[in-house]
Amino acid sequence: MRRVRKMSVGELAAYVSSHLRAKGIDVVLSGGSAVTIHSRDKYVSFDIDLVNTRSAKRRTIREAMAEMGFQEENRYYKHPETEYFVEFPAGPLAVGNEPVKRVDEMTFRTGTLRIVSPTDCVKDRLTWYYYDKDRQSLEQARLVVQENPVDLAEIERWSKQEGMLKTFQRIRNLFLERGTSA
Amino acid sequence: MLEPLLGSTNSEKVLLFLLAREEGYPREIARFFESDFKAILNQLRRLEAGGVLRSRSAGRTSLYSFNPRYPFLRELRSLLEKALSFYPQDERNALLTNRRRPRRRGKPL
Repeated sequence: MRRVRKMSVGELAAYVSSHLRAKGIDVVLSGGSAVTIHSRDKYVSFDIDLVNTRSAKRRTIREAMAEMGFQEENRYYKHPETEYFVEFPAGPLAVGNEPVKRVDEMTFRTGTLRIVSPTDCVKDRLTWYYYDKDRQSLEQARLVVQENPVDLAEIERWSKQEGMLKTFQRIRNLFLERGTSA
Repeated sequence: MLEPLLGSTNSEKVLLFLLAREEGYPREIARFFESDFKAILNQLRRLEAGGVLRSRSAGRTSLYSFNPRYPFLRELRSLLEKALSFYPQDERNALLTNRRRPRRRGKPL
């Protein structure tokens, strides 16, 4: 088994996810680390957000994480061999007002990772831009679009549902370098 | 009123306060309802951990508000609006009366 200290963010997320799945705990990677993976490391995050999709109990998660050497500190799980830390945001797995539409599976040598699709990852980042005016999240969304086929028509539909159609139309050109209207 | 659903009267107080005033800090909410500060703080923290609320630092306190990314926010707001409409008029007025716009120092009434 590869040592935790040598694992990339994707390998670590896959390792943790697979261990939790074996214990009956279903999680999906979202947030900044999903951006890291979908942008092929153009953006670096140390925060591994594993959304607890079936409301597993906190104690069950704590025990499973302890088996891998993670200790809980203030709802964050830390491991002595790595700077990455794991958090379990409460479900449901959502982007704004809607459920996440597609979850992809990625295989690493440490296990299998369930991760929000690039299109949903872009929506997730855009919620931070739409509601908190966070420019860095907009840039992260752009990095994901650059590296993946992303459904811009779906993002436009979703933005309209969020009441953010005009804002999306203002920033749409940022995504045209690579996005496809699948 | 919503206690059977929310499991706590303090949770209802916190949510109604934030519905009426958009944001608030723990001591302000506790003072308004004459409730125990720690109990209010616990509810705020619980709701934040569940993704319903978010907080930001303001000086030495934390200001709480609804998390705009909470997927059931619209529906929650509707429910709370309805609950608020059942409150006695004087309590409703007290909740909704809150001057937040700037006021020049020393200005007479």
